[in-house]
Amino acid sequence: MSTELIAILASWGIATLRSATPLIFATLGETLVQRVGIINLGTEGEMLLGACVGFAVGVATGNPWLGLTAGALAGATLSLLHAGLVLGAGANQIGSGLAVWMIALGATSYVGRTLVGQQVTPLPALGTDWTDGIPIIGEVLSQMTLAAPLALLAVIFAAWWLNQTRPGLHWKAVGESALVAAENGIRPTRVRVTAIMVGGLLAGFGGAILSVDYTQTWAQEMTKGRGLVAVGLVIVARWKPALVLPVCLLFGLTEVATLRLQSAGFELSPHLLGTAPYLVVLAVLVASHIFARRASAMPADLKAVFQ
Amino acid sequence: MSTRLLSASAPFILTVLVFLALAIALFIGLGQPPLQTLAALVQFAVGDSYSLSQTLAKTGPILLCALAAAVPGRLGLISVGAEGQLHAGAIAGTAIVLLAPTWPAPVLLPLMLLCAAAGGALYGYVPGLLRARLDVNETIVTLLMNYVSVLLVAALVFGPWRDPASQGWPATMQFPPAAVLPALPGSRIHLGLLLGVIAALALHVYFNHSRWADKVRILAGNRKVGETFGLSFGFWVIVLMSVGGALAGLAGISEVSAIQGRLQQSISLGYGLTGFLVSWLSRHQPLIILPVSLCVGGLVAGSDALQMFAKVPAASAVILQGLLFAAALAVPGLLARWRNAS
Repeated sequence: MSTELIAILASWGIATLRSATPLIFATLGETLVQRVGIINLGTEGEMLLGACVGFAVGVATGNPWLGLTAGALAGATLSLLHAGLVLGAGANQIGSGLAVWMIALGATSYVGRTLVGQQVTPLPALGTDWTDGIPIIGEVLSQMTLAAPLALLAVIFAAWWLNQTRPGLHWKAVGESALVAAENGIRPTRVRVTAIMVGGLLAGFGGAILSVDYTQTWAQEMTKGRGLVAVGLVIVARWKPALVLPVCLLFGLTEVATLRLQSAGFELSPHLLGTAPYLVVLAVLVASHIFARRASAMPADLKAVFQ
Repeated sequence: MSTRLLSASAPFILTVLVFLALAIALFIGLGQPPLQTLAALVQFAVGDSYSLSQTLAKTGPILLCALAAAVPGRLGLISVGAEGQLHAGAIAGTAIVLLAPTWPAPVLLPLMLLCAAAGGALYGYVPGLLRARLDVNETIVTLLMNYVSVLLVAALVFGPWRDPASQGWPATMQFPPAAVLPALPGSRIHLGLLLGVIAALALHVYFNHSRWADKVRILAGNRKVGETFGLSFGFWVIVLMSVGGALAGLAGISEVSAIQGRLQQSISLGYGLTGFLVSWLSRHQPLIILPVSLCVGGLVAGSDALQMFAKVPAASAVILQGLLFAAALAVPGLLARWRNAS
């Protein structure tokens, strides 16, 4: 293979990974939430709030890491509303998620007014003077930040934690049947609140990576349904953390392809091209229903929500 | 006044009180005098004939979008697709106007409404079919499809449908008078609102007094029982999702024809999600949806006016709706919990 081809593939690969990174965090979070038998459409709102707060703190402090931390905490805080409504008041989970989304939509468009056009200090690139000389690898590292490697680590850690540790087993047990779990000395409500907060934390972090690291701007409603895409992709990934990675990369690849088609002067409406990521997600969602038996993978307690 | 009536209306009254408390907290948080702001909100919603006309103009699309969620809701489906169906209806209705702008109103108007309803219905049919045949969750499909048709409207008005005379503003040509829905003179109260009211009344009769409605009720209560009686769940999913879509499509073309006068972006102030909220608050009952649409329409119109005359941000309308939603979700459950404990 020629170096040129490798360079092109590497460039596409990095762009795909960077585009997918915010979604990987959000989808991973939603996967963990659904594994304990809760669906959270508020992921969209938590991502949006994370993007807004993360960007604001990043701008105010000049420190992107502080911004990402603040975004994650904002997402986790907002997720408490979902936990309170669903577990405290026994509210419908779909309704509660939409309420969380609405509140975040309004709040961020208010708080975000002053953020439009602001500059944020981005995360530093991974490349150093020392690596710059190495062909391809130097190039790759200079285009990457720590965000994408962190996402990969998070996926690996979550897959290991859920399948190989005792608390992970407890979470899965709660998702299969809260009643049986409780009979075995697990406290389902506690597990579910924790999972919803972890989901909020990851969604907020993903949102902050979107605004601070990926686009490096704030725009109203900038998540554009990524949190809802995450909810759909959890089904495609069959509630397995490890499968979150490929399905999110598919979304990332679609987005990168549409962006590159536009900048290559391709004569097609950018709005029309903009529908492609949603259509691809819908297509894989439908395909996963045609080709895979969903019932076997779905946490049993979640089925009640979907009926 | 029996205690039974009191205990039946307790969740409703308490929800309103909790919402008012949250709204007051929001206004304090925004640095506004809470009670004056609340009074101004009511004033701007229903204070004079102009405000009332604005409120009714917002009520129309909210009502139709609420019915769009309520119709599938009767079968237990959670469709959040009214926003997308509204845009699909706007596209289909506009297409016929651009195709035959010179046709007389008696032909063009009904045709335009029919096309819009068909466009919305198609946009509801797709998630309905996916749910019926493959058991794909309709909530997620409708939510994702919303983004697609909003982008399609943008693609059309920036592209092939852009009026060269509009000087760079992305919009179609102005609708000819024959394609503008009739309105009460000097107001923004148009035929779209009337269609919504008629649809609500018709659906009330249909849901409560027809043999088909019994089938839907049985299937909604227990799908397996319904299917042993020979009823088809999938058939009704497709029918109700399509009918819901058609209603939202009418909301779309009404906004385009009567309010904006042409197709452009931002024809909807999030009416789809607002309508879903209204349908939820009304437990999918068309007769309850009517007054609730009016109240929420007033909330939207009132906060719209507030931002112009007071220093209350436009976003407060969305936050208030979210708080209302949260209050309505929290109160009944907490009340039941408190009753069980005592």
